[in-house]
Amino acid sequence: MSARPLAVSLLAVALAFAVSALLIAVAGKNPLVAYGALLQGSLGSWDRIAVALNKATPYLLTGVGVALCFRARVINIGGEGQIALGGLAAAWMAMRFPQAPAVVLPALALGAGALAGALWAGLAAVIRLRRGVHEVLVTLLLNFVGVLIVSEALQGSLGEAGAGFPQSPLLARAAWLPHLIPKTDLHVGIVLAAVTVVVAHFLLWRTPFGFRIRVLGASAPAAAYAGISPPRTFLSVMLLAGGLAGVAGAVEVLGVHYRLIEGFATGFGFNAVGIALLAALNPIAVLPAGLFFGFLETGALAMQRAVGVPSPLVAVIQGLTMVFVLSAMGLTARRRRV
Amino acid sequence: MTDAFVEFLAATVRIASPLLFAALGGILSERAGVFAVGLEGMMLAGAFAGVVATYGTGMVLAGLLASIAGGMMVAAVVAVATTRFRADQMVTGLAVNVLALGLTSFLLRGFGARGEAPTIRVTTLPSLPVPWLADLPLVGPVLFRQPALTYLAVALTVIVFVFLVRTRPGLTLRAVGENPTAVFAVGGNPARVRVIAVVAAGALAGLAGAVLSLQQVGTFTDGMTHGRGYLALAAIIVGRWMPGGALVGCLVFGAADALQLRVQAIHLPVSSYVIQMLPYIVSLAVLAGLGRTARMPAAIGAPFVRERR
Repeated sequence: MSARPLAVSLLAVALAFAVSALLIAVAGKNPLVAYGALLQGSLGSWDRIAVALNKATPYLLTGVGVALCFRARVINIGGEGQIALGGLAAAWMAMRFPQAPAVVLPALALGAGALAGALWAGLAAVIRLRRGVHEVLVTLLLNFVGVLIVSEALQGSLGEAGAGFPQSPLLARAAWLPHLIPKTDLHVGIVLAAVTVVVAHFLLWRTPFGFRIRVLGASAPAAAYAGISPPRTFLSVMLLAGGLAGVAGAVEVLGVHYRLIEGFATGFGFNAVGIALLAALNPIAVLPAGLFFGFLETGALAMQRAVGVPSPLVAVIQGLTMVFVLSAMGLTARRRRV
Repeated sequence: MTDAFVEFLAATVRIASPLLFAALGGILSERAGVFAVGLEGMMLAGAFAGVVATYGTGMVLAGLLASIAGGMMVAAVVAVATTRFRADQMVTGLAVNVLALGLTSFLLRGFGARGEAPTIRVTTLPSLPVPWLADLPLVGPVLFRQPALTYLAVALTVIVFVFLVRTRPGLTLRAVGENPTAVFAVGGNPARVRVIAVVAAGALAGLAGAVLSLQQVGTFTDGMTHGRGYLALAAIIVGRWMPGGALVGCLVFGAADALQLRVQAIHLPVSSYVIQMLPYIVSLAVLAGLGRTARMPAAIGAPFVRERR
């Protein structure tokens, strides 16, 4: 890849921060002080860094899947539903086999999460391939259904009686993801995510499957002409992305909350899309992009506490970054979509 | 007819009206060839601007105009990004939804001390019974004792239909959604038509937000549209990109929502969550049923690029 996408992404982030600085100034605060607090709140101590890395973990896993999908021009925006069902399956597995040994149970639960996410994405792919409904609409609609399935489960068999909030009971300790650094919240998920990103990079650029993804993204007729089955590649990349999103949901449940909570994945799927775009659909670049989003969100609350600049500013920065990157991609890619 | 049933039908109409505004706007946008994924953000901006302006000026009319302007501002971002910069329409829609959610929540806290969200209360729009008609049995309480914006939504359904199907600009708009190159060939300006259509969609979606904040709740809370913009998108699909069809879709979804709120009271054997899934599953079923024969606007999603010679 040339240096151009990197320049575009950096420029988009810089522009988003500049516009947001204006907003902060309009609100009567000093933008530099606010951004200083944002930095302090995300990188200021090992504890903050641990929180930010945990925050980034599901974004990395889901974002890399979205990047692979978009590469193949499969516009999968169903991350939210896939994450939700991945978390549900992981919680179910952990509650079903609480006696399993401490090494086996998280692995089982992560596997269940991957399977559930992949199945949900696979359902979207099948509807797309069999009935010709655009995958954006299918994945978008299935997001709502997936999130509601979690709510339904929490109201029923998985819910904690008398909790006052739709959540499952605390999972057995054996199911929790081990911590990476003692005395911090940092769990092993970030290692899993980083390895996934590197593997995805090699998958895309060094394997026949990656080649099929890239050819399909360049031109579906060319792919068919070259003997690559567009539907099969479509289904594979969706299953892969869904599985990764499912793992993201499982990691969130097993590593952060230790239980299934209603709405635990709210906004994750759309953030993953933003991260994939910011990474110019390049898996290895998902690492800095995902970490950026994680640190940004972690610093936001600290910024609000320290200088009174409201934390939703972060969503403004994220939204603006997406619009700028998309505009730049549209300009440079001419007739291409995403 | 029991009172509960009449109240259920009235609630259906009430819940359907914000969806209808947004769906009508979405039809204008999508018929011109631009996916209306950004409806959610436009609604949210409209809901916010309406409450702030009504609170600030004490005039509902100012609030409604601000709602329209708020929706149009978000729509303008979509319009410029998708036409001038040829950004992907659907993902741009998602992006402005994130942006609008962040911006409204940020600005709301801008009005509070030390970054906390204040509660801004305004009086909700009263219901306006239509003389004589309101006293009819059943249809009276269901249709003719509604607040002003609900009547406006129904009127706009007819207006948008007539505009699309019976007027010259409406024909041009649809032509841009089917074959922008042909419109360009006969001297039209597809990019401009799309910008106007998207901004008009923003105005209607802004009004949809006003229904929520000014007519139903009387305040603004973070993300108060709760996915209704996406639901409107689904209603457009169910209604096959026609105003009348979208009206039916909105009423069906409104009924599902009204039912969901009453599940416990009427001892239904299903949970409210299952009923909440219905609109999305119905939309998927309709889409899958339409399948490859779906009469989606042919050029939807494709940026218009002038041929260079």
